[in-house]
Amino acid sequence: MSFEKKVQRLEEIVRALESKDMSLEKGLKLFEEGIACLRDASTELSKAEAAVQVLRERTDGILEATDLRA
Amino acid sequence: MNSRPARTAARDSGAARSGGARATGGSGVNQPEPEPLALFDDLDAVAPPAPPAPPAPRRSEGRARRPASQSDEPGLSPESAISVAALTLATRDIIEGAVEPLWIRGEVVGLKEHRKGHWYFTLKDASAQIRCVMWATDARRALAAPDEGMTITALGKLTVFAARGELQLRILRIEASGDGLWRKAFEKIHQKLEAEGLFAPERKRLLPMLPTCIAVVTSTDGAALHDVVSVVHRRCPITRVVVAHATVQGDGAAGSIVTALHRVARWGKADVVILGRGGGSREDLWAFNDERVVRATAGMPIPVIAAIGHEVDVTLCDLAADLRAATPSAAAEAAAPRLTDLVRHVRTLGADLRDAALARVGTARERLTAAGVSVARAASHPVERRRLALEGIAGRLHALSPLATLARGYAVLTDGEGAPVTSVASLDPGDAFVARLRDGRIHGRAERTERLGEEVNE
Repeated sequence: MSFEKKVQRLEEIVRALESKDMSLEKGLKLFEEGIACLRDASTELSKAEAAVQVLRERTDGILEATDLRA
Repeated sequence: MNSRPARTAARDSGAARSGGARATGGSGVNQPEPEPLALFDDLDAVAPPAPPAPPAPRRSEGRARRPASQSDEPGLSPESAISVAALTLATRDIIEGAVEPLWIRGEVVGLKEHRKGHWYFTLKDASAQIRCVMWATDARRALAAPDEGMTITALGKLTVFAARGELQLRILRIEASGDGLWRKAFEKIHQKLEAEGLFAPERKRLLPMLPTCIAVVTSTDGAALHDVVSVVHRRCPITRVVVAHATVQGDGAAGSIVTALHRVARWGKADVVILGRGGGSREDLWAFNDERVVRATAGMPIPVIAAIGHEVDVTLCDLAADLRAATPSAAAEAAAPRLTDLVRHVRTLGADLRDAALARVGTARERLTAAGVSVARAASHPVERRRLALEGIAGRLHALSPLATLARGYAVLTDGEGAPVTSVASLDPGDAFVARLRDGRIHGRAERTERLGEEVNE
């Protein structure tokens, strides 16, 4: 699931929990899911810095990204 | 085109006709005969099938029989009369040899397109006119056929159309004067692609909230790449930037851009692509109006941000892209979110989640109380399940709070006033502090403080 999807799901969950008419069991499940989304999204935001690369086509037709200054 | 092989043959068989030789060749003094084959060049302008080569002028025979004298020179006596073909050819050679290609400006009249793609027309102004031909190979490189009455600036080589004995201009290139041709070519492609729905607003896709990888189709030598990289790096350093090199101006630019776009599409790991270059003249940017490039842009499987120049009119790629940016930097800003904004957003969502869950628990508790049910008494009842759920949710909330950290064996220190102690500088020897642990508090006093790598302070 993309970062965007996780955030969207999290927003849905919060909205659902905020609405009053929901069983506690269902709320609990949603909360669990929300915590998982939150953790995944945070992990994604703390990834390492990425390098600039060039997309090259090898003679055998395979595409590969290599560092620009290499 | 028939004229090409004929001319090459003439050049190869004749005694190396350099420009100079051509100029004097017409005067017919000591030069080899003009190659009759060269005549095909002009005849072709009217009718593609070439007539049989005219008989070679008799001049050389005469010269061979009698010793040369003034009156034997071709055309200087009734006996040495020359053919019309020889005259026009000689005239053509003189004119072609003496006049380099020139830029001419005039109004286009009576343009006819030959089925093979040649264009015939007349260029005129208030007081003169000249017949023009543009061979298919040259015409193909022009943006569009000029309209009747359009003023154009053209590069032409002056020659003679022997079959009609007319002065003729062979047009090599047409520049759009007063941008008429540009607009015409632009509108022609625009109309065609618009009819196909390539520019339709409903085709526009949203950009990803957090792109993992931004592809840039541009020249690796250009400033555009540098601009994109520095903006992305500043705003969202975790996003990868991958450049697919393309020649963005001049001959072959369109093909190169299409190849680079296809490469990005085939690679499949980028989630947005920036197609761009810095500013430039309309001619520099023309590749971005090329039908193939516009189609490749519209056909990309991921959103495309066009950032093509900013000094001239919009290009068709701008219209086909999902988003148009004024500059490569602006495109990068649109593509790369500010990482700090995202972090803040996720934190806010975390807090919202916690609040919503707490509110939920509160509601459940109220309901239980309102029902007047003793939780302990209703162990076998669905209500008991609710109680367990409550405990479970409390446990999960707990995981989000600093209390969870304490449970793992850590302590939080506060000073006598209750302010957090986060540095050795917060306490002096003898100061009171409170250590808060999982199951209670320890009140103590600092004996001495030691900063990392420094002397002991007692």
